[in-house]
Formats: sequence, structure tokens, C-alpha cells
Amino acid sequence: MSIIIISADTGEIEEIIAQKVAETMGFTTLDHHILAEVASAHGIDPDQLDEALKTTPSLFKKMTAKQWRYALSCLEAEVLDRLLKDNIVCHGVAAHLYVTGVSHAMKVRILKGKNRVIKEIVQHRGLSLEKTERCCAAELEQRKKWSMAAYGFDETDLSQYDLVINLDQIDPEEAVRTIAGAAEYRKFQVMTYSMKCLSDLALAARVNTVLLDSMTDINVQSHDGSVVVTAKASNRQKRERIALIKEMAGKVDGVRYVEVHVK
Amino acid sequence: MAKPLEVLLLDDEPIVGRRLRPALDKIGCCVEVFEDPEKAVARIDEKEFDIVVTDIRMEGLDGLQVMAHVQKTWPRTKVIMITGYAKIDLAREAMGKGVFDFIAKPFRPDDLRKIIYKAAEALGIPMESSSSGSGPGPVEH
Repeated sequence: MSIIIISADTGEIEEIIAQKVAETMGFTTLDHHILAEVASAHGIDPDQLDEALKTTPSLFKKMTAKQWRYALSCLEAEVLDRLLKDNIVCHGVAAHLYVTGVSHAMKVRILKGKNRVIKEIVQHRGLSLEKTERCCAAELEQRKKWSMAAYGFDETDLSQYDLVINLDQIDPEEAVRTIAGAAEYRKFQVMTYSMKCLSDLALAARVNTVLLDSMTDINVQSHDGSVVVTAKASNRQKRERIALIKEMAGKVDGVRYVEVHVK
Repeated sequence: MAKPLEVLLLDDEPIVGRRLRPALDKIGCCVEVFEDPEKAVARIDEKEFDIVVTDIRMEGLDGLQVMAHVQKTWPRTKVIMITGYAKIDLAREAMGKGVFDFIAKPFRPDDLRKIIYKAAEALGIPMESSSSGSGPGPVEH
């Protein structure tokens, strides 16, 4: 019983490995296919949500920072909610950046390497080797910038992962077996504490989404149904803002107590 | 009548034992409470408990050392860890070393009761309220 979160240097590798791991383990996959559902549930343009996962507002001029943050928050809330069900292989929804402190979520990073797999990507993309390498390097740099802007983590920092596999040294079939084997370790199994951590993250994300619909600069932490919201407001608006946050957050299912700090 | 579940509860904060003993008595456990890990280990040497519930950070022996002693002496015994210093690394270390479950303080007595029911089920010891497998409902603050 665990969650496997896979992130790779390129989307193609990520998808192939994630699907094979899910098949091997009999797990379900949680991936970009949920974007349409999330967009529809929150009234967001599906293309905008897809774009929000790839670019930052400064690069994607059609989306404001507020819309970008809201779109990501909707996705995060939905993904966290689904991860509560367990036995899932998750990829392509940035979960490696916001599922933090959950001991039964094993995070895996797949490195494409420079030899074997790059040739397959060349074939898949129909580009020259040189151009493919340039594209991959640019994509990696873009992901790094995006992850820093969206969640304050550099997704290329390998110290963030529980398992790192270099496809130059381990072929994809071996990688799948390695991931499936590691996921069986006791340390990645569900315990009361780790489920609680995940429920707390999910509740904080739900509250965050509700508040971000009409506000900005919000930080939400949750513990066992108690929610602490940090927000910004001028002295004149402080009282109203606190009351509004308490009212909105208090209506979210699972919230028992709301504390608000306005700076 | 079913045999009561033998539980040893070890925490150096007296309030924890005072609070949890009645909660576990209520579901038919026979609970022995210790605040000193050395004394708890001496008692473990004398008697096989079904479940040992232990704090992690304590003066002298820590919870992981107590668990290692339990595993060596009574391999069948389930160890549950409770801690006010829960972090992902510690949780994984405890799980990797064979803890049955791990729970962060503060928690409600009912949270521990649910884990006790699960442990009893894993031990094959029937408990009346655990027959549904879900234990009692949530307890409000």
C-alpha cells in the first residue's frame, strides 16, 4: 500500500515508466488525464490549466499570476484528494513538488542519460540528435524555473527524491522492477502518521483553492481539521478580511477550526 | 469471554499514561503503564505483551531501542510508536525497523484505539468492537 510519484527528464520517459510500474504493481495511474475534470469542476479553460503546468505567468502572457496560482491550486487539491485512496502511480501533475512529508509517497526521478534513451526520443520526436538534445536541455531548464516559481523547489535537485535512476545504466525494464521492488519496502508503507500528513495537505489545498478564487497571497496550513491561514491586508481591511476568510474556510468540508493571521 | 489484550504503555510524560489507560481499559485491554524505559524493558523480559505502545524520545533508552528489545525477546508482539517529534525520516526509520504503526502527538485516544484494533486483528485476537474492522467512530474534541 503506497503511492509512487514519478518525475523524469522528459514527459515521454515519465509516461512509459509510470504506466509500466502501474501495470506491474496492479496500481492505478493518476496523470494529466484528470486535467479536463479539474478544469470542468472549477470552471477553468482546460488549455489554460495545461499551460499553467508548463509555463509561468511571465512567459505565458494570456494568464495572470492570480489565474495561474488558482489553476495550480485546483489541480493540487484534486490530486491530493485522489491520493488519499492509495495504491497509485502518479506523474505529470507536479505531485512531486507538493506532496511533501508523506512517508508512504515514494518519489522517483528518472534521468534520460546521454546514450541509449535519447536515441528513442530522437525517433519519437522525429528530430536530429543535436536538436533533440537541445530541446531536452531547454525543457529541463524550463521545468527547473517553473518548479521554483510554482512551489519553491527545483525539480532537478536530486536530493528531493527517494530513488534516482539513470537510464544510461539501468534499462527501462530494470527501472520498472527496481521501482516496484523499492515500493515494497516497509518504510514506504502506509501508517497512521503518514495518512494524517496527507489528509492535512489535502484539506489545506481545498481551503487554499476556495480562498484563491477571490484572494491572493494566501498561505494555508492544516492540522487535524484546524486550519491556519496567513494573508495580507491593509490595516483598514484587516478585520473584514479575517471575517471573510473565517467564513469561507469554515465552510470547507473537514474544517473544524480556523485561525487567521493577517500581515 | 475473550482473553484481554495485554498492553504495555511506555511514555515518560505521566499525563500520557493517565489519559490513555482508561481509554484502553474501556475496550477490554489489560494495560500496564511505565514512565521509565529501563523498568519497562525489565517487565518485557518477564512477560509477553500482545502490544507495546512506546514513546520515542525518552531519557536512557529511546523507543527504537525498546522496539529492538521487544522484537528480540517476543517477535510476535506488535509495537506502536507515539511521538511529539514526528518527521518523515523518523517515521520511515521506525517503519523500516518493523514498527506496527506510528502516530504523532497530539492525538485523540480514539486514534490509538483504532490502531489497537488493527493490531489485535493482525494478531488474530478477536475484540468485540473490532468485528467490523473499523473500530469506534470519531471522538470530537
